[in-house]
Amino acid sequence: MVIINLIYLTTLLPLAGFLINGLFGRKIKNEKIIGIIGSAAVGISFLIVLGAFIQTLGLPTEERSNTVELFSWLNVGGLHIKFAYLVDQLSLTMSLIVTGVGFLIHVYSIGYMHGDKGFWRFFAYLNLFIFAMMNLVLGDNFVVLFLGWEGVGLCSYLLIGFWYDRKFEKGTTSQAAKKAFVVNRIGDFGFLLGMFLIYMTFDSLNFKEVFSRAASFPIAESTFGLIALFLFIGATGKSAQIPLFVWLPDAMAGPTPVSALIHAATMVTAGVYMVSRASIIFASAPVVMTVVAVTGLLTAIMAASIGLVQNDIKKVLAYSTVSQLGYMFLAAGVGAFSASIFHVMTHAFFKALLFLGAGSVIHGMHDEQNIQKYGGLKKYMPKTYITFFIATLAITGVPGLSGFFSKDEILWSAYANGGFVFWLIGAITAMLTAFYMFRLVSLTFYGKERFDHHHIHPHESPALMTVPLMILAFLSVVGGYVGIPKVFAGEHGNLFEGWLEPIYAPAQAKLATFGSHTHLEEILLMAVSVAAVLSAIYFSLHVYRKNPQIAENVSNKFKGFYNLLLNKYFVDEAYEAAVVQPIQKGSEKFLWKIFDVKIIDGMVNGVASLVESGSGFIRKIQTGVTQSYAVVMMVGIALALLWLILSL
Amino acid sequence: MPQNNYEYFLLMPQLIIAVGIVLSVLIEITTKKSEQILPWLSIALFVAAAFDSVFNINQNFVLFGGMIEVGGKPAIFNFIFNIGAALVVLSSIDYLKKYGTYYGEYYILVQSSVLGMMVMSGAKDILMIFMGLELMSICFYVLAGINRKKLSANEASMKYFLLGAFATGFIVYGIALIYGATGTTSIQNLVENFVTYSSNIIFVLGFVFFLIGFSFKIAAVPFHMWVPDVYQGSATTVTSLMSTTGKAAAFSVLMIMLSAVFSGASNVFRPYFATISALSMLFGSIVAISQTNLKRMLAYSSISHAGYMAIGLAAGNLFSVAGIIFYLAAYAFMNIGAFTIISIVEGENDSKTDLNSFAGLNAKSPILAASMALFMFALAGIPPLAGFFGKYYVFISAIQSNLTWLAILGVLSSVISVYFYIRVVVFMYFKGSVEDFEIQISPYSLTAVIITALLILVFGILPDTLMNVITSVIR
Amino acid sequence: MNIQIILFIVLASVAAVSSVVMITRKNAVISAVFLVLNFFALAGLYLLLNAQFIAVVQIIVYAGAIMVLFLFVLMLLNTETEHKLFVDKRAIKFFSILVSAFVFVQVAYLIFFGHPSRTLTPDEAASVKAGTIQAIGQQLYTNYIIPFEIAGFLLLAATIGALVLAKKKFE
Repeated sequence: MVIINLIYLTTLLPLAGFLINGLFGRKIKNEKIIGIIGSAAVGISFLIVLGAFIQTLGLPTEERSNTVELFSWLNVGGLHIKFAYLVDQLSLTMSLIVTGVGFLIHVYSIGYMHGDKGFWRFFAYLNLFIFAMMNLVLGDNFVVLFLGWEGVGLCSYLLIGFWYDRKFEKGTTSQAAKKAFVVNRIGDFGFLLGMFLIYMTFDSLNFKEVFSRAASFPIAESTFGLIALFLFIGATGKSAQIPLFVWLPDAMAGPTPVSALIHAATMVTAGVYMVSRASIIFASAPVVMTVVAVTGLLTAIMAASIGLVQNDIKKVLAYSTVSQLGYMFLAAGVGAFSASIFHVMTHAFFKALLFLGAGSVIHGMHDEQNIQKYGGLKKYMPKTYITFFIATLAITGVPGLSGFFSKDEILWSAYANGGFVFWLIGAITAMLTAFYMFRLVSLTFYGKERFDHHHIHPHESPALMTVPLMILAFLSVVGGYVGIPKVFAGEHGNLFEGWLEPIYAPAQAKLATFGSHTHLEEILLMAVSVAAVLSAIYFSLHVYRKNPQIAENVSNKFKGFYNLLLNKYFVDEAYEAAVVQPIQKGSEKFLWKIFDVKIIDGMVNGVASLVESGSGFIRKIQTGVTQSYAVVMMVGIALALLWLILSL
Repeated sequence: MPQNNYEYFLLMPQLIIAVGIVLSVLIEITTKKSEQILPWLSIALFVAAAFDSVFNINQNFVLFGGMIEVGGKPAIFNFIFNIGAALVVLSSIDYLKKYGTYYGEYYILVQSSVLGMMVMSGAKDILMIFMGLELMSICFYVLAGINRKKLSANEASMKYFLLGAFATGFIVYGIALIYGATGTTSIQNLVENFVTYSSNIIFVLGFVFFLIGFSFKIAAVPFHMWVPDVYQGSATTVTSLMSTTGKAAAFSVLMIMLSAVFSGASNVFRPYFATISALSMLFGSIVAISQTNLKRMLAYSSISHAGYMAIGLAAGNLFSVAGIIFYLAAYAFMNIGAFTIISIVEGENDSKTDLNSFAGLNAKSPILAASMALFMFALAGIPPLAGFFGKYYVFISAIQSNLTWLAILGVLSSVISVYFYIRVVVFMYFKGSVEDFEIQISPYSLTAVIITALLILVFGILPDTLMNVITSVIR
Repeated sequence: MNIQIILFIVLASVAAVSSVVMITRKNAVISAVFLVLNFFALAGLYLLLNAQFIAVVQIIVYAGAIMVLFLFVLMLLNTETEHKLFVDKRAIKFFSILVSAFVFVQVAYLIFFGHPSRTLTPDEAASVKAGTIQAIGQQLYTNYIIPFEIAGFLLLAATIGALVLAKKKFE
């Protein structure tokens, strides 16, 4: 039990790193020391998690879930919450991803952020993020989870706006940061309500208590449905699903390692983790399960279609992330929780790799992000190219690489438990993914060099950046072999599923069992989807590598549709018109200006009188305003008395 | 009559301040150096009174023939008032020099207002409530307009006085009706026979008038009209005192009057509180969005916070008492912190209180920016800061009383409010400086900021430290 | 109808009318005079309630000392120029009268017709006993000693406040 009990170090070390770099970073100045402190804090945490993981593996299955109590946190009126960490199969898996991928990205950042004036600040924020994220995945109750949940949101906000002096698209990075924060808070609204309902229903917020009561208490399905729905709203905010996905593409305003760590590998999967943690609640609400699956599916195909036409390298990857997150929710929605976590893991490897590769390209191209201005970079940055190519193969689901295993499992579960249409849309999304990813590769690494040779001299990145790329490439290839489909490996061959099985056993017991399908069916579907993906790859390469004019012709022919995709279905604009503007205008024009100032003041501006100055001030004091304030009070009193008369 | 001298001993916190007021008057009259002496004397008095209250927190007695309660819940409130006032005085030392000429009376009035609050929080007789309220309010009216040269301050003072008198009128009318219906002003009596009395419409009418008057004092919609103008026009340190300790004192009275409800009687006034709380939360946070002046924005935010706390009054169970007290403590410290920072940045003649003046604050002073960000996040209710647990406890209490819809409205409006709190952070961190001016950081004010920031963190990370004390005394 | 009710109606209407006249006069001196009248009417009402001491104090302190001071100040200052202190706005005025009348009707309804029960607890004997100077003095220095002391601080604070606001010049 020794290493498991040390698990709190995995949050304390990053916190210490944050405090050291945050408080003294400005004085330390030396980038190496700051970078080493930041990376070591995460690296050592990774080793501790690894130790705990190995130790847990050695325990018998029923003893694999351990609670590490730190201190009693809230203790009042029947509400007892301990600050405790839950070390079980699921939290260990997530922790390994967070600290492992996190460590690689920290190392990469030492190279990427070299020379930035906010170097120390960057590492301080990154460590703070790891601290919050570890709380999120390790928390043994909803309150600790929520603490981490808000913490990662805060760090994400700080890091998106990191380069606040830079322009981002039509606005500034700070606008992007604020958007992310505000949209996330809408999700948090749902999550908080879900928490309240859980407390009301189960009289506890502790995972073990809540979930065991959820399995045993006689509770109406509608209650479960409401709780699950609220939790899912929280998840759509954090994990960028319809309707709250709009912040993630804008989040690309942050430095690229941030996009890799927070907006691809870890934070955005928090929603998936939460759904999967609360699997029993979701499994008890079949209607919401369908909502989750359909939302995931729609998000997946919608984001993939937007990804087809984007020209900013990070934007393409951002929509790809949204789309892949959709897959994860699809999996969760059809009851394949372990498949969704499996995809979280493989996705963390290859998407982090893609982002870091993109960062390496951007680094080598002097901050140019438009893929139309790349081309032929293969010979300038061979290491970046090879690793990026491997990641692309992985994400498209080419057999043998990690993405294939997880995506195939999701598609198969979608078919077996959801139905043919689910599978079909999933497979089409896979085709679209293959198409836009190879479009990205072709436009970046192949073809004519479309950049200005006088100003831009592409170069390979330093070893500090390329070595993490290679490690991630290795993981992107082999990471999938822990989850070989049962159809090939036998009933107990899927190690990953077997490892997580005890977590989902109660949920699976509630869910309808998978329909009986033959192995032949499974292999057939697999073959069809692989063939579809391969043909999409071929087609993409054919268009973008050899005959670029085809793309132009097509986009000209379907101008309307092309514009719709290019403008992301105008969702941002619609939200602006339907939500943001009305609230702002309502606040400014109606509630404040009219209700609070104009009507009340009888056309005398109470604020203006405040700034007036001069002699004989007594006469200028607007006591008339005071009169009207008193009238408002009188109206309030009249209404209160009316209530009294009517109610008693 | 006091039973024995021990009663005077238990009344020590009030006596400390009372003696301090007389002493301060003498110092102000006799020496020209009062400027150096009075602030530190005040701080010493406040700290002494605060700690005396805390040490005797378990000595819960009602003294002087059922007039005043000491120890227990009043002790916690006394602690909030005194520590809050000490912090405000600390931040006033250099601010007053900047704001206008120095007045020794400022400190005397602050002490008197705190005495008034302490009388209110310990009141066991309606007469005591009224005396305390008037003592506090009159000091506030004057403090709001302490700088006669400033038009905005005069206007604030005038408005506050006129409308405050209006509200006081309703309180007095309410007291008269309550007395007429029950024949007593003893709160003990009112609490014990609350159920019997509340079938008498005269009593209920009087009670409603009383509540209306105090709804004005806590700044709840629709009795909030004075708040933005007064908070914006008054000296920043005065605003910070009024908006925190003043609000806490008014809430302490509401909790005293409703203590029958809190210990189980059916809550006749639930629709009233639920309505003003819902209105205040939504109105405050929506209107705050369009404010560009920071003091005015915090005024609207203060309205919405009054709404969150009023949720606890509507819920009316023991848990909500604890929640409200915790919330008040947390709110007092985060708001004092925020206003202190405004008072540091503020220039002469009410200038530099705009959002634009805070643009690029991080570059000018990282510590100020970081603390301000902390206070904004705390006000927005982001864990693990104290503001989050304040809201959390209150919402939970609402759910326990089957007022889930109110809790939902609360969460909704706190989601809306994030928008304007976060805007301050955006200006400080993600914008270049718009106006070029130097910030003179006063070491005293900075100390106050750091103390409040630490308190916010401690109450957030270890909310149990405070919560255990609160729950141990409210039973 | 006994004499008490007749007296009450007379005194109450004098009090109400004089206060309305007081706030509507443009000349401050006339307002002050009507305020004195109002105080006298109130003193009469106190007498009806067996509160002799308060009635006397009302006349000596308010109508006597304070109002005389008021009048001196008003006559020494040129008050004519200040009569535009209140901005005249017809709509607001009309609306405020309407709302106030509505509140008045509501309160009257609740007091006279409200349900479920309307109980006042008059105690003639006790009020006769409580109104004497001796009884007041006794209560003030025993049961109500704390509020009495607080009232002292209240007056101190008010005095200091008045001084701050009225000091002619600051150094």
